[in-house]
Amino acid sequence: MFAKLWRLKAFANAHRWLLYFGIFCFLLARLFEAAVPYFMMIGIDRINAGDADVMMPVLGILGAVVARFVIVSTARYSVRLAGLRIAFDLRQQFFATLQTQGSTFFNRYGIGDMMTRAVADIGLIQRLFSMGTILAVILIFASLVGFGAMLSLSPELTLLVLPPMPFVFGYAWYMSRELGVTSHAVQERMSQMSAQVQENLAGIRTVQAMVQEDNEIARFGGTNQCYANAFYDQARINSLIAAVSPTLVAICVITILGYGGSMVQRGDLTIGALVAFLTYVNMVVQPFRVAGFIVNLFQRAAVASARLFEVLDRGPEIVDAPRADAPSRIAGHIVLTNLRASYADGHGDHGPDVLRGIDLNIAAGETLAIMGRVGAGKTTLLRQLVRLSNPPRGAVTIDGTDALDYPLAQLRAQIALVPQEAFLFAATLRDNITYDDPERALDAIWQAADAADLRSTIESFPAALDTEVGERGVTLSGGQRQRTALARGLIRHAPVLLLDDCFSAVDTATEEHILRELRALRTGRTTILVSHRVSTARHADRIAIIEDGQIKELGSHETLLAAGGTYAELERVQREGEAGGDEAIPA
Amino acid sequence: MSEAKIDTPATAERPALPQRDYAMFDAELSGAVLNMGLLRRVLGWMRPYRITFGISALLVLLWSSLHVMLPVIISVVVIDHLLRGETSSKAPDFGLVDLTERLADALAVDPLVAACLLYAAVQLLWAIVGHAHRQTLISSVINGLRDLRLDLFRHLETRPSSFYDRVAVGRVMTRVTNDVEALYELLRGIGTLIGEFVPFFVALFIMLSMDVPLTGYLLLAMPLMACVTFFFRRATRELFRKVRMSLSSLNQYLQENLAGLAVVQLSVREARNEEEYAAINRENRHWETRSARLETLYGAFNDSLASIAIGGIVWYCAPAVVSETLSLGEMILFTRFIDMLFHPIVALGEQTNILFRAMASGERIFQALDWDERIHEPAEPIDLPARLEGRIDIRGLSFRYDVDVPVLRDLSLEIAAGERLAIVGPTGSGKSTLIRLLGRFYDFPDGRIFLDGIDLNRIRSSDLRRRVGVVLQDFHIFSGSIYDNIALGDERITRERAEAAARTVNAHAFIQALPRGYDTELSERGQNLSQGQRQLLAFARVLAADPAILVLDEATASIDTETELLIQDALEKLTAGRTSIIIAHRLQTIQEADRILVLTDGKIAQLGTHAELLATDGVYRQLHELQFQATNESP
Repeated sequence: MFAKLWRLKAFANAHRWLLYFGIFCFLLARLFEAAVPYFMMIGIDRINAGDADVMMPVLGILGAVVARFVIVSTARYSVRLAGLRIAFDLRQQFFATLQTQGSTFFNRYGIGDMMTRAVADIGLIQRLFSMGTILAVILIFASLVGFGAMLSLSPELTLLVLPPMPFVFGYAWYMSRELGVTSHAVQERMSQMSAQVQENLAGIRTVQAMVQEDNEIARFGGTNQCYANAFYDQARINSLIAAVSPTLVAICVITILGYGGSMVQRGDLTIGALVAFLTYVNMVVQPFRVAGFIVNLFQRAAVASARLFEVLDRGPEIVDAPRADAPSRIAGHIVLTNLRASYADGHGDHGPDVLRGIDLNIAAGETLAIMGRVGAGKTTLLRQLVRLSNPPRGAVTIDGTDALDYPLAQLRAQIALVPQEAFLFAATLRDNITYDDPERALDAIWQAADAADLRSTIESFPAALDTEVGERGVTLSGGQRQRTALARGLIRHAPVLLLDDCFSAVDTATEEHILRELRALRTGRTTILVSHRVSTARHADRIAIIEDGQIKELGSHETLLAAGGTYAELERVQREGEAGGDEAIPA
Repeated sequence: MSEAKIDTPATAERPALPQRDYAMFDAELSGAVLNMGLLRRVLGWMRPYRITFGISALLVLLWSSLHVMLPVIISVVVIDHLLRGETSSKAPDFGLVDLTERLADALAVDPLVAACLLYAAVQLLWAIVGHAHRQTLISSVINGLRDLRLDLFRHLETRPSSFYDRVAVGRVMTRVTNDVEALYELLRGIGTLIGEFVPFFVALFIMLSMDVPLTGYLLLAMPLMACVTFFFRRATRELFRKVRMSLSSLNQYLQENLAGLAVVQLSVREARNEEEYAAINRENRHWETRSARLETLYGAFNDSLASIAIGGIVWYCAPAVVSETLSLGEMILFTRFIDMLFHPIVALGEQTNILFRAMASGERIFQALDWDERIHEPAEPIDLPARLEGRIDIRGLSFRYDVDVPVLRDLSLEIAAGERLAIVGPTGSGKSTLIRLLGRFYDFPDGRIFLDGIDLNRIRSSDLRRRVGVVLQDFHIFSGSIYDNIALGDERITRERAEAAARTVNAHAFIQALPRGYDTELSERGQNLSQGQRQLLAFARVLAADPAILVLDEATASIDTETELLIQDALEKLTAGRTSIIIAHRLQTIQEADRILVLTDGKIAQLGTHAELLATDGVYRQLHELQFQATNESP
């Protein structure tokens, strides 16, 4: 546990003075806190002796209270500040590390998992510093100060009061673990219930169409009962703690009343001291009661810390190691030599090869279409070119230089990939189109929009380019999203353009129009496009058919038709059978 | 089921469509601070558990008395009576002094020992009664809210499509989860306050019997505390809101950045995004820091006030004790009661935010429960015969979702038993509406639909839906195994029957290839299946149910050519010998239909076979030619 927490040292170190200062103030505050029962004792004893002059003890109490107020609020503020700053640093570092990760990492860890770490785990570390420090300090100082005060009043009574303490601590610790288990169960049941309701409501039409309402209500009833049970368990533990802990402390109180009372009768202890004892024993015991909570917090924070460093310890997935002599401008001559690729499953184990030895020489300025079945390796091939996954050394050369030797930023700036999924950010159309460089000029935006056949769409919105597209572009139709993503790629005028099946949601007429624009725009520049449709592929200089990770056919539209292979078959099926490929009749 | 007041069946089966303000459902309700009616309604769900609830209320009174007795034993019995031999104590001792003496006599022990035993006994009783009180309280609350939640879910589950067309699923969902949760918090909060205020009044009573002016002075501190608490809560409410908002935008930014990480990396935006993230992170820290400052001051203030009061008590009481108008034990008792006096105010402050939130939640819950929109069910339903031919007769059907926009206009059409009808037409032509009406997802006041001569409005919607298999574009996959997803809880669908259905629609091969075959667990929304596989599974599901009539909205999603062929083949088997109404998107489906219905603007534009329609100069030919041009046009 401590080894895991110790790893946070680097983050804590940056704010150590704040922490030291806070801890010092806490110690001071405890001394003033202990002064209150002390002055009270003096007051009681004076009154008991028939002396009504309590000016000194009352002023003492007031002074101690004011001093404690100032010091303790400063102390708490300091450590909370430290916690906030440490959380800030952790978040920043976490974000930066995640930005350097790629598909291998995210195959293993889901985005939801990363969100939990960023929110819950960093939150726990923050609480460890802002609350854990306070509690740990209370535990040590309050006990020490209270214990010291009791010893000074009566060593004899102090020793008698001590024996129940371990039980108080043991019970608190045990119950806090129980509480941890039950709270966890409540959370689990709750998220189970949320997931079920969410799923059910999302499919409510199917539920009703299939007359599944009663089944679903019964199923929900079961989940609901499980949640209620878990909730009850948690409440029971809480109630037990509230009942048992004070009762254990009462053992100390009874000792003080009984033995301390007899000491008063013998004249060995004053009544004031007896009352002070009752307060001091609380000062000693109360920390014990929260001790379980502290241990629990430390344990959970240790787990959180381990989970965070599991991510923070990762180096970049794609290491940027450019060679100084790599050309600064890519012309677009791409040579693939025996290119193999497989997906790592996140544990570093590679599955079967998706690409099994691709040899391809793409001339600068050529337009190449790639076709093939789902899972044939088309997307994988494009990803190797922009190094979203690293190709093996020597497998991909661009203008005679290995792709691995280019600076990553240059490679990705000059080879523009428009991915299959048209991911849009929750921002304006303008921000989405100029995502790579927000300072792009207005006419460049419109030019790209024209090429992607997006102008009329943009102009149809009242806010035009400043239209907010919503989370992942929900306010746009599938075709509009795809064309926006396309414009985002086209605006870069990159020497090499890679289009990964970017027209699937665009109707055929629009696609034709875009392809015409593209041909004009891309003259003399390398373009590789992946498609399911013969109508898209036919205009390319060459068409490659990929099957099972290998190139099966390669040549122009006419050559491949004449060859009578897969391509010719696809052409026939799509022409005769489906009229528009997979296109809907009316849009 | 008895709706006696409706006079003739003709009007009874033709409900008017009431217009509803759906915006209200999604609106932020900002209701009253303390809505007693609402609280009463929540408590209505506790009624079956009222005995437990009542016991709990009795126990809290007993518990509070025991709670107050403990300091009384210390101050009055031990300090005053046993240590100082005082006899002038005005504080009510609940007969504890007497009891101690008798106990000492009976057991022949020192009175001090007897007092200790008494203290132990009261303490034990306090623990047991307290635990019992909390358990009874929480169990009645949990059971009541469990019932409320189930009722709410049942209610929502049976709202019609017209409701779900207009409201966001997320907003409906949070009512079942978060809003009911807020009610838990509310009732728990009220429980806490009861546990604070009952001892408060008992302590107050004892203090008044000891020294009225001092009690009055101490009570003066309460408005001060209430003010500070009020201002603190007001200041922090706004701060907390800003903390929450900045935190949620921080998380949103991270989430979005991860979801679109490939685009980020391809656009070489990493450095810029890190800076943007830092800006939000800084804002969050700023608000967190400000609320930390307030919270630490307030916390320390609360701790200190009690100590100051103790100083005041000593100052005030010293002359009185010395002149023997007040006993020392009573002075000490005052100091012990301070927390009981002040803490309820702090607790009240803590609970107000919860109270506010819970009131809003309660309003949302009851708004949902009161939402009485539903499909009209017939007063005297007609049972469907065991075998349906599948003849459909639509007469003068008109329909509108909104008042002003008709979607279907006076549509009349006869579909023969076993016929395969394809519907085509542009978006908004009323295709989907037509098939939704066939499944009785909406009430339609204008026009009639007959199924084998029986008016659809005279059939129970659940009966109808069991006989009309509707496959929507959005194939919903339930969590559970593949088999569960085909059988959908119908015991008549055995595993063999499910497998046979899957085999018929070409789904068997891919199901077999899954790690656990038909037992493979599907995650929500069937993320581990491809689009094509999900469609085949939906086909298997409907085939296994073997409906008399198939109503299908063909998927438009892009699917590779091979799967496409499998689906076409499956569709053919599915529709064989069954009345089928298909919104068709694929030419092959259209060509193989017996008749094609071309809808435009909610009216029948054309109706006939593929060959007939092609021979006619009309919408269908235009649509058809457009499609072919797209592939045959040369550059």
